[in-house]
Amino acid sequence: MQQRHSIQYKSDTDPVHESALRHITGEAVYINDIPVNDQMLHGFILTSTIACGKIISMDVEKAKMLDGVHAILSYKDIPGINQMGPVADDELCLAEKDVDFIGKAILLIAAETTEIALKASRLIDIEYERSEPVLVLEDAIRKGLLIIPPIEISTGDADKALSTSKHTLKGELRTGAQEHWYLETQTCLAIPGEDDEMGIFSSTQHPSETQAIISRILKIPKNNISVEVRRIGGAFGGKETQANHFAAWAALLAHHTKKPVKIHMNRIDDQKITGKRHRSINNYEVGFSDDGTLTALKVAINLDAGSSTDLSRAILQRAVFHIDNCYFIPNLKVNGQAWKTNHPSNTAFRGFGAPQAMAVIEQIIDKVARYLSKDPLEVRFQNFYRLSTNNITHYGQIIENNRLIVLYEQLVKSSAYVERRKSINEFNKAGLHYKKGLALTPVKFGVSFTASFLNQAGALVNIYTDGTVLVSHGGIEMGQGLHTKIMQVAASELGIGREYIKVDPTNTSKVPNTSATAASSGSDLNGMAVKNAVEKLKKRLAEVFVNEYNEKKSGELSVIEDIRFSGNFVSDNEHPERKISFEKLVKKSYKKRVSLSATGFYKTPGIYYDRTSSKGNPFHYYAFGMAVSEVLLDTLTGQFSILRTDILHDAGNSINKNIDKGQLSGGFIQGVGWCTTEEIKWDENGHLLNHSPDTYKIPTIRDIPEDFRISFLQNVPNPNTIKKSKAIGEPPFMLSFSVWLAIKDAISAVGDHRFEPEFSLPATKELILKSIEDIRKKMTA
Amino acid sequence: MTGYSHKIRFVLDGKILEVDFNDGRYSPALTVLNYLRSLPNHRGVKEGCGVGDCGACTVVLGELAGDDSISYKAVNSCLLYLPMLQGKQLITVENVAGEHELHPVQQAMLEENASQCGYCTPGIVMSMFALYKNHHQPSLKAASDALTGNLCRCTGYQPILDAAMKACTNNGIDHFSASEADTVQLLKQIRSDDPPGIEGVTSYFRPSSLEAALDLKTRFQNAIFIDGATDIAFQLAGQPEYLIDLSGISDLKTFSKDEQYLYFGAGLTIEEVRAHTEDHLPAISKILEVFGSLQIRNRATLGGNICSASPISDVLPVLFSSEATVELLSKKGKRELAVEKFIKSYRETRINPDEILTGVRIPVRGENTISWSSKVSNRQDLDIATVNAGFRFIMGQDELVSQAILAFGGLAATTKRAIKTENFLVNKKLDEKTIRQASEILYHEFEPISDVRSDSASRRILARNLLLKCYIEYLNPNF
Repeated sequence: MQQRHSIQYKSDTDPVHESALRHITGEAVYINDIPVNDQMLHGFILTSTIACGKIISMDVEKAKMLDGVHAILSYKDIPGINQMGPVADDELCLAEKDVDFIGKAILLIAAETTEIALKASRLIDIEYERSEPVLVLEDAIRKGLLIIPPIEISTGDADKALSTSKHTLKGELRTGAQEHWYLETQTCLAIPGEDDEMGIFSSTQHPSETQAIISRILKIPKNNISVEVRRIGGAFGGKETQANHFAAWAALLAHHTKKPVKIHMNRIDDQKITGKRHRSINNYEVGFSDDGTLTALKVAINLDAGSSTDLSRAILQRAVFHIDNCYFIPNLKVNGQAWKTNHPSNTAFRGFGAPQAMAVIEQIIDKVARYLSKDPLEVRFQNFYRLSTNNITHYGQIIENNRLIVLYEQLVKSSAYVERRKSINEFNKAGLHYKKGLALTPVKFGVSFTASFLNQAGALVNIYTDGTVLVSHGGIEMGQGLHTKIMQVAASELGIGREYIKVDPTNTSKVPNTSATAASSGSDLNGMAVKNAVEKLKKRLAEVFVNEYNEKKSGELSVIEDIRFSGNFVSDNEHPERKISFEKLVKKSYKKRVSLSATGFYKTPGIYYDRTSSKGNPFHYYAFGMAVSEVLLDTLTGQFSILRTDILHDAGNSINKNIDKGQLSGGFIQGVGWCTTEEIKWDENGHLLNHSPDTYKIPTIRDIPEDFRISFLQNVPNPNTIKKSKAIGEPPFMLSFSVWLAIKDAISAVGDHRFEPEFSLPATKELILKSIEDIRKKMTA
Repeated sequence: MTGYSHKIRFVLDGKILEVDFNDGRYSPALTVLNYLRSLPNHRGVKEGCGVGDCGACTVVLGELAGDDSISYKAVNSCLLYLPMLQGKQLITVENVAGEHELHPVQQAMLEENASQCGYCTPGIVMSMFALYKNHHQPSLKAASDALTGNLCRCTGYQPILDAAMKACTNNGIDHFSASEADTVQLLKQIRSDDPPGIEGVTSYFRPSSLEAALDLKTRFQNAIFIDGATDIAFQLAGQPEYLIDLSGISDLKTFSKDEQYLYFGAGLTIEEVRAHTEDHLPAISKILEVFGSLQIRNRATLGGNICSASPISDVLPVLFSSEATVELLSKKGKRELAVEKFIKSYRETRINPDEILTGVRIPVRGENTISWSSKVSNRQDLDIATVNAGFRFIMGQDELVSQAILAFGGLAATTKRAIKTENFLVNKKLDEKTIRQASEILYHEFEPISDVRSDSASRRILARNLLLKCYIEYLNPNF
């Protein structure tokens, strides 16, 4: 690495992460850092060591005798319902007769130390009767093990159009699983209170669901269970449903022992027993014309759901919605199926099914371009959704505020794509064992939960008599800067400094019945709910203001509509001399017996989807982005480096460019990991082989682009969202396809782009080497 | 035991702290990570993996360097046993800020928005702090090298790298410099403490001399010798019986060179070996650049890596190809053995139970020698090799090869030479035709295993391609 340009945009006005100071001083408190009394016990989960079979017998007597062991629980000790699936009741909290993956929880142990718990677990004998597990996705497909009904969307007549297309290509794309690798492993602290009360501190993205599942399992009404989350050490979807499990187990142990119980997973066990991104096998047939216009597409998407449904239905739904990515395909049939295998249940992960589908269409475009000896850039442009024509998706939603063309035009220019393509071609002709590759890939990502009812949020805003404000909302701070954005929203709406505002840890007792912080929706939904609460409070304060002046002063009356909140003061726009500090107005309001606490609520307007006709407007809007990446590939070792990446992204009117920039670079690099080094393998018995960072390789600081340029599209306010902003959590993940396909381009250069390289995702060194080997063989043949 | 102490003393929070292992609260096999987290005010240190692969638990160790200054090194506290702190200064994230202002690295982290979820951040701050103390205006390579051992899943690293480049511009001057003289005094007070010798379920001794180490080994025959303990600390998460820590023996840390040999004490850390070989043996330093992370290289030792006899050791192929020898010491005397002979089988060596590996001797070769090394791993850094290689050609008359050594890791149960290919190359000219033929022989010479890192076929391809790569890069850059 020699020359490096830093990210260009840096905002001096947008605040840094509200916890940044605590992060860098080590003062930020995570669940494992919460001081608890010396009664606290450590929970341990004893799990199945076989992938499929029956439990014949269990002997826990020796373990129970061990000093320091307080409880060993089985499903028989569950007072309520033994289920913890978030959507479908197909996931037992603790195994009864059968086990269906390695890592299925069977027994829970509470002991005074983790060492004692571990020792106890080794004294427990479980005898199994093994049956043949289904570990390979093809086997599940062959055996017909559908876990949910297929989802099909069709527009036009794909079969007919394929038969009349000038060219057709068939193919298969496999995409791999991905481990979330949040830095903070799954953690929960359960503290029993009076009677049935249970206080839960969980590293969860979805406290309301955590509460609901504990309520069912313990047979305790929800109003006795509070779930609190201050911050979590990374999640990426991995704590949307699966944090519930650890919370349920800790709560069960706490309920039985009447003592606080903490479960803090060690890394290896966490990796072994939690679900991953769904691996997929996708088969397609595409029709196109001489100029590369896509005329027809048929795709079958097959996801490995693992042992239970978890969120696979919604993930599959998002996958079939995103098979088009940015391209108008008039005749399209997509069939999505999710299959049951004997692996831990696969779950939410940044992108939520969209990355798998979008990889398929990007691979198709790349292949079509090579077939027609065109630069894939041309074929992409040729097929982009247009502004007023070719602008309806296969599920019938009109793409409004389409930014694809403007992103394309600006990025092709700013990245000097055309010039670099030329110099790369020359470099590649020199016959060295290094090859360069270049690719531009676009992203269109639908924003909203695809299950429309989830698009709601609540907030609670309290103003205290010293003028300080406490904001509670339903969203979780998992590093993405949600609380920072919420503070900004509350501060600007109330016209006071951020120093007067505190965002409270998220708690089900403050804001009930919330949705998960997921689907990139955190600030869209909660920001609006907070704004709604603030508006109520402002109205009350304005009334006090108006009454105050109208009672005392003579002359023209103040009216509520003219009252402005700005610069820590409240004033009358029409009568600027009528001005009072925010704090004074708050004190006056209190004395006038006006409520200084308000709830807020928001539901996304205008979204609907009809499952029978497969048509509707499932998304509130789309987020767009584009990336160009250049790689240098050593064709002898398969090692590569990313020489340069240019990203141009549409974040609407960003609420906080510093934070959005962080989501962009972070999401992109996480995607690069999925596309390259993050490979997951299992052995023939279903044991996860990459179960520690020793063998599972997420990107390091040396794996980022040597020259990394990120910019935002300017002057693109997003109508009808908080501060006219756009969601930013997931879309950047798929920008990493530019790296994936640049690698493919470099491999292709080995055969002077005459042969379609064998390619899948991730593009590991092993895959790259074999693909090059294959091309070299074809060249000499 | 006489001459040893069941107490240790080290500097933390500006004070000398004493831990008495006889009070039963702590085991000597307790990691510094878990020790810190048991204290009320040091929970900033985080466990991200517990196996030295993520750096969330990074702390900095300060040690006396000469009589009046302190050296600062970032290490993984999850791979450090508590008694190893004896005589050192332990610096944690809570110590980094000054009384009234943030440390420059923290300030830069803040300004560059370099934290998101914050869980990896304390470790990153510590690695960056060590970089700050050791580098003035580091190159991007040096800065990223210092941070390779710190995984972050949120930021994409760019802001972290920007922060490092921004912060490290002041010759390492900070509040630690201001109080360095005081800290030196504290460290001098504990410098001549009796070395730790703690007996219990796990017993730990840190002898000060080779003789004492051999005495201990005679007494406790199943004792395990450790030094950096980076490989063993997480494997022995259970309760090892006897640990003899060789890190207190200065004889094991010597480096010398004369016209014939370079001599490396077995206790030199990989980072020290890397620095010593930069000028003389670039084939060695090159491969050590991608050995683990800086935190690991600061602790792991040359002797430890050799004695682990791992089939994917990054050190062994280059030692094979440079015909290095190991020096073994027992009460009966010294013996010397070729490294290649020393490696017996998978993770087994020919060391006798009463011996200590004291050093490595590498013969200096003339100008007619070509040395080359390479490591291929799935991830460029902080990863275990899929295949690694150390090659050496000695050229004889008429540009013919008089000796070829091609040593590979990752292709067999031990580091292994490609004897057939070597024999083929002898007395040949190193031209393209020869290399192509040799690489085909090489392709078939091994029966590598398929495992989680790679399948057998790719390993064969790599073995063959590495010879081609060596030829292209070293012998014929125009190829």
